[in-house]
Amino acid sequence: MHSILAVFRRELALYFRSPVAYAIAFALLLFLGVLFNGFIAQANAALSFGSGIPADAGFAPNLLTFLMFLIAPLLTMRLLAEESREGTLEVLMTLPLHESSFIIGKFLAAWAYYTALLLLSLVFYVLQSFIGVPDAGVALGAYGGAWLYGGAVLAITMIWSAVTEDQIVAAFLGSATILVLYLAEIAAIWIAGQGSSSLVADFVRELGLQAHFSVTLAQGIVRAEDVVYFICVIIGALFITTRLVETRRWRA
Amino acid sequence: MIEVERLSKRYGEVSAIRDVSFAARPGEVTGFLGPNGAGKTTTMRILTGFMPPSSGRAIVAGHDVFTDSMEVRRRVGYLPENVPLYRDMTAIGYLKFIADIRGLRDGKRRAREVLERVDLLPRANSRIRTLSKGMRQRVGVAQALIHDPEVLILDEPTIGLDPFQVLELRDLVRVLGRDHTVLFSTHILSEAEQICDQVVIIDRGQIMAQGSPQALRSELESGRPVVLRVEAPLDEALALVSALPEVERAGISADGITATPANPEQDPRPAIARAVLERGWALNELRSVAVTLEDIFLEVAGSHAPSEEPSGEAETLADLMEEDEVSHA
Repeated sequence: MHSILAVFRRELALYFRSPVAYAIAFALLLFLGVLFNGFIAQANAALSFGSGIPADAGFAPNLLTFLMFLIAPLLTMRLLAEESREGTLEVLMTLPLHESSFIIGKFLAAWAYYTALLLLSLVFYVLQSFIGVPDAGVALGAYGGAWLYGGAVLAITMIWSAVTEDQIVAAFLGSATILVLYLAEIAAIWIAGQGSSSLVADFVRELGLQAHFSVTLAQGIVRAEDVVYFICVIIGALFITTRLVETRRWRA
Repeated sequence: MIEVERLSKRYGEVSAIRDVSFAARPGEVTGFLGPNGAGKTTTMRILTGFMPPSSGRAIVAGHDVFTDSMEVRRRVGYLPENVPLYRDMTAIGYLKFIADIRGLRDGKRRAREVLERVDLLPRANSRIRTLSKGMRQRVGVAQALIHDPEVLILDEPTIGLDPFQVLELRDLVRVLGRDHTVLFSTHILSEAEQICDQVVIIDRGQIMAQGSPQALRSELESGRPVVLRVEAPLDEALALVSALPEVERAGISADGITATPANPEQDPRPAIARAVLERGWALNELRSVAVTLEDIFLEVAGSHAPSEEPSGEAETLADLMEEDEVSHA
């Protein structure tokens, strides 16, 4: 436990010291701000015709989860690839702690940084509540769902950091993996259109990230299966990462 | 205490080390000596629990490195080759981090203590990337010392240091050797000779010789040629020395006359001195050709090469090696 905490603290401090983390936060807020501005302009225009449009409480979490295919690899590519390249992994692996401890510590640090990003994006919900009546239940589901979603995506992209010593390669592969999982729904629709059994289409859809977020949690619908899905993805991905790091002992 | 028994590590067809056996005792510095690629790092990585052996057994600080890896890691301080450190951390921050992972109470105080021990307290708050190579090396040693381990394993700690830093680090290792079991690898022979109580020579994955530097030397010094300089006509002196029954043959070298003893067990110097003085000549110099670890190493490693022609010297060396193998069997 103390070793998880030590690794977590070190990695989190590193995020808040690194310019990349601030650049990501800046770019995210800028992007969301520009879109939010457009959203408000649209609402104003609708208002001048005498009809309002509802404030979408899930505005920021929806966009953030979409952008995760870019953000997550940037946050996790360094975690294990750098240790491996610098040789510091050898020190960690000869200290009395299990691989899973430092992998969990690193993952939790990335997730904590992501949580900070998500909390920053709450500013749009606050603004919405000044000018309209966003649905608090939807907001709760969407923000909570985006939090789990982010954890799952970070855990998946972290696998690639354990596979390769090259951070750029890890980032590209991570990005591609998340994009595929994000677009699984489109693939499912295509498969269903081919006339094959709907079982395959359902399976592909359920495998994807969006089926467990955009139509449920992001609408304020909390289903146990979606929560379980994200938790299972996190645990599964961390398990794979641990195993990959362990194999270094035999390959070294 | 480190006990290694018939340790082997194979990568597919290639053997990194083969049947390595040796012991390192507490309160001693054991030098692990060999050229680059001889298997020093592989052995040390097995001893620190970084990777498992293919076969054989190693007991470090009373625990088996394979079955009881965590206990071994708790009791071993390890400085890997090239001293990997987190460059973005401060020296004190890094050591505190290691102390926390090891679950030491009062990590900050421990970190300050070891920094003091390696004489780096004034730079405690500098980022590691701004430290000189020698200072980084000392941060690495401090990292290995922070939990006051029974066993210290240092992989080429003096590599890349300037001569002054090398001296400092050797002093540190020698002091540490008083109350720890220190295993210390190097490819610099004079270094091993200076600071080690015991030397283990490894080449191409196999132990070639082991013992105290003095023992290794005296073992090889027997049968070594002697050199003498005499105030007399060179050819007369040469004839005199060659005629002695204790001398197998004699020749003229840059140093004077070099004589090879007939019996490696028997020092020919008393006989030579007597004969020279009986003739009334002045004996300016009479010495055995000094053996350094360098010589031992070159001969031990060289005799391993298949192209070596059998000669008088190689025979004594072969004897040495046979003894060595017997003691390991």
